[in-house]
Parts: sequence; C-alpha cells; structure tokens
Amino acid sequence: MENDLTQILDNPWLALAAAVAGIMGYLTINAMMLIWLERKLSARIQRRLGPTEHGPFGLLQSVADMGKLLSKELLTPDHVHKPLYLLAPVLVFAPVIALCSLFPLSETWIFHDFDIAVVLLLSISGLTIIGIFLAGWGSNNKYALLGAVRSVAQNISYEIPLILSVIPIVLMTGSMSLYQISLAQVSFPFIVVQPLAALIFLIAATAETNRAPFDIPEAESELIAGFHTEYSGMRFALFFFAEYSNMIIVCALATVLFLGGWRGPFLPGWMWFLLKVYALIMLMMWFRWTFPRLRFDQLMSFAWIVLVPLAILNLLVTIVVIKLV
Amino acid sequence: MIEQLAVYLFAGLVVAGGLMAAFMRQVLHAIIGLGISLLGLSGLFLYLGSPFVAAMQLLIYIGGITVAIVFAMMLSLSMALRPPQSQPRKFALAIVGAAIFFAAMATVIRGVEFSQLAQQAPAAAWQVEQLGHLLLNAYNLVFETLSLVLLLAIVGAILIARRERPVP
Repeated sequence: MENDLTQILDNPWLALAAAVAGIMGYLTINAMMLIWLERKLSARIQRRLGPTEHGPFGLLQSVADMGKLLSKELLTPDHVHKPLYLLAPVLVFAPVIALCSLFPLSETWIFHDFDIAVVLLLSISGLTIIGIFLAGWGSNNKYALLGAVRSVAQNISYEIPLILSVIPIVLMTGSMSLYQISLAQVSFPFIVVQPLAALIFLIAATAETNRAPFDIPEAESELIAGFHTEYSGMRFALFFFAEYSNMIIVCALATVLFLGGWRGPFLPGWMWFLLKVYALIMLMMWFRWTFPRLRFDQLMSFAWIVLVPLAILNLLVTIVVIKLV
Repeated sequence: MIEQLAVYLFAGLVVAGGLMAAFMRQVLHAIIGLGISLLGLSGLFLYLGSPFVAAMQLLIYIGGITVAIVFAMMLSLSMALRPPQSQPRKFALAIVGAAIFFAAMATVIRGVEFSQLAQQAPAAAWQVEQLGHLLLNAYNLVFETLSLVLLLAIVGAILIARRERPVP
C-alpha cells in the first residue's frame, strides 16, 4: 500500500498535484479553525462566551459557516467591471499556495530548498496588492475603491520596513535560503541579537496582512467592508481565506527568521515549528482586540517617520558589527 | 515538450500584455496589460535558468513599478476622467518611436554572437553570489547610473504631481 503511494509520487506532475491539494486542504481547514479561534479569543478578551452551539466549544461553528458560504448563490452586481471583479479574489488567494511550499517544516521536511526563498517570498506576496486593488476598482463602488486605495498605500509603505528588517538576518547568515537561515540558529534564535528587527518585522507584517490595528482598508465603521464590500458567498470567503493564510505565511517567516524555525527541545521539529507559528498568530489576534485602530495619516507617518529610519539604523548597526566581529 | 509549451505561453503573455498596454483606452487596463507582460518576462527568465532574476523581476517590476504606477494613478485625477480619444497624429508618432526603438534593439541583438557567449558563461554565472559580485564590481557604474535614473523619475513625478494642485 505504502509502496504504491510512493510510486505515484515519483511522477512529478502527480507529486505537484498532491502537494497543491495538500496545501489547499491545510489552508482551508487552517482558515476555518483560525476564524473559530479568533472568535473565541475575542469573546474571552471581551468577557463573552463566543460560539458555543455547534460541537464541543463551538468547534463546528466554522464548518457550519463554510456550508452556508458554499451553498450561497454567487451574486454579481450589475454595476461591477466583470473581468476585474471575477479575477480579483483569485489573484488575492493564488500567491499564498505558492508561498506555503517554501517553508522548511523540520530538518528533513522540506519541499524544496530554494537558495533565494526569501526573495521569492517577498516578491510573490507583493502580488496580493494588485488583487486587492483590482477588487476595489472592479467593484465600482466608492467604499471599495477607498478601501483599495488605502490598502495599496499601506502595503507599499510597510513593505519597506519589512524588507529592511529581513536584510540584517540575510547579512548575518550570508544566505537567502530559509533552510540555511534555520540551520544558522543552532546556538540561539536570532531574536536574541536582532530584537529591534523582530519588532519591526512583527509590526510591518501585521500591517501587510491588513489586520487591526492596521485594518484601515476594511475599517467597518468607515468603509462598510473596504475592498470586498461587493463580494458575497465563496468569493467573499476567498478574501477571508487569503487573510488568514497570509497570517500563516508571515508568522511562519517570522518563526524561521527570528525564532529558530523547527528548533526546540523534546518535541519533533515540525511540532515546534507549528507551535511557534500559532503562538505568533495568537499574539496577532491579541493585538487586534487590544489596540484601537489607527487613523490613516497616523498609520502612514508611523511607517515613514518611525519604522523606516529605525530599520535603516538597525541595518547600519548590523553591518558595522558584522564588519568588526 | 512541456518546456517548449511554457516558453510559447510566456512569450504569448509578453506580447498580449504589451498589446493590451498599448491599445487599451482605460489607463488601468493598460497597466494590467503591462503587469501581464512583465509576468511573462519573469517566466522567460525562469526558463533561461535564473530563478533569482525571475524573482527580482516579480519583486521590482510587478510588486514595485506596476503598483507604484497604480498608486500614482490613484493620487492623480486621471482615473476619474473619461479616457481620451485616440488622436491619429499621436498614434503615428508613437508608431515611429516604437519602430526606431525596435530597429535599434534588433541591430544590437543581431550583432551579439550568442553561441560564443554561451560557451564563455558557465552555469554558475547566474548564481546569486556571482550576480552580486558582478553588479557591485564590474558593472558598478551601470548599476549606480540606473538608480540615478530612478531617482530622477521620482523627483520628476513629485514635480508633476505638485503642479496639479494649487499651493494653499
């Protein structure tokens, strides 16, 4: 039986199909469970109960929601620009699948060890912005367009401190492979020597995933739902999936860059990796229900006046220290 | 077989995107065409055996330049205006300009002895380390000049954008 399975995976196309199916299945279940987790966490933080009805601890609530979204009619409003409107959710979600294949889950669980994985990650995740903008523009709705405009501005601004906070790590290890970077953290995780870069990365990553306190693109109280105002049913669900899947991506990247990847005592590597990723995700959720939403000009000036100079300073100090040591 | 198909697919993307960028009247559609064309180009780099250049193409041209153009569009008035009518005189001038550029590029490309180049350059020439050394040593001047051009473009864009609004 097992022999048959490995033989099937010898065919590169079937292996690729299996990998894509595996990643998509994981992302779907992950998004459903994260939505449940977020609802539970927010409820606990606000002294409520959260979902309780379906299954133990309301665990099946997301499954029920999924069924609802799947069975909903796909409405396409008359006034939208159809090709862009239909293309946008796909463009937002598709990059995530490619990105998931880059992470080394443990010392032996690697899909492929790219020597330029960091560049690939940053470049492919940049494609999401275009999808968001097309959603806003194609919706032909002022709230959607305003949300998209804010989102593009925010993403461009926060991409710079994000990349600047990754470069010190690349300089220290002399490699852009996520596997090599994980290997380099044998004695200590890089957060010990690069706390400022880790902090900047976390802030910028929260902004890049459009989460509170940086969720200005979809500020409910101002913009209804921002760029996905006109979307319903599964198309809306795709935007939601993309948001939660992007959380996984940035948290996994933070785990590899700053927390030592799969390293940890007692437990097997992949378990440590996932533990770190989900701990970071819970930290991001904690942010969301703790900090109030920033105003748009505060958000932009925070990126350009505080984060970018700090990140450049950190980079310069790192370069000097590396030269001296 | 599949590689051949992929090359034709990417080349088709480049040409189709370029045509979209040139002939779409809505500015946003033209930008999307440009994005598709650049995506195809990135695929061609991948086929030529340099994933790094392909990734850089994605990062700089699609994630950077295309998004920056979209961003500049949002800040100016041109998205709200109706697309301008096609003017035959401008059209003719554009064709002349494109033809001159095409002729120049064709002469340069025909002059290159590709077979010799392929012998000289080992496969290692496309590795990240090699590229970095070449960019910061042999081609340092070109590299710096290119960034100067980008700086000029940014300053020019700021100047033009400032003129649109009356000074308060």
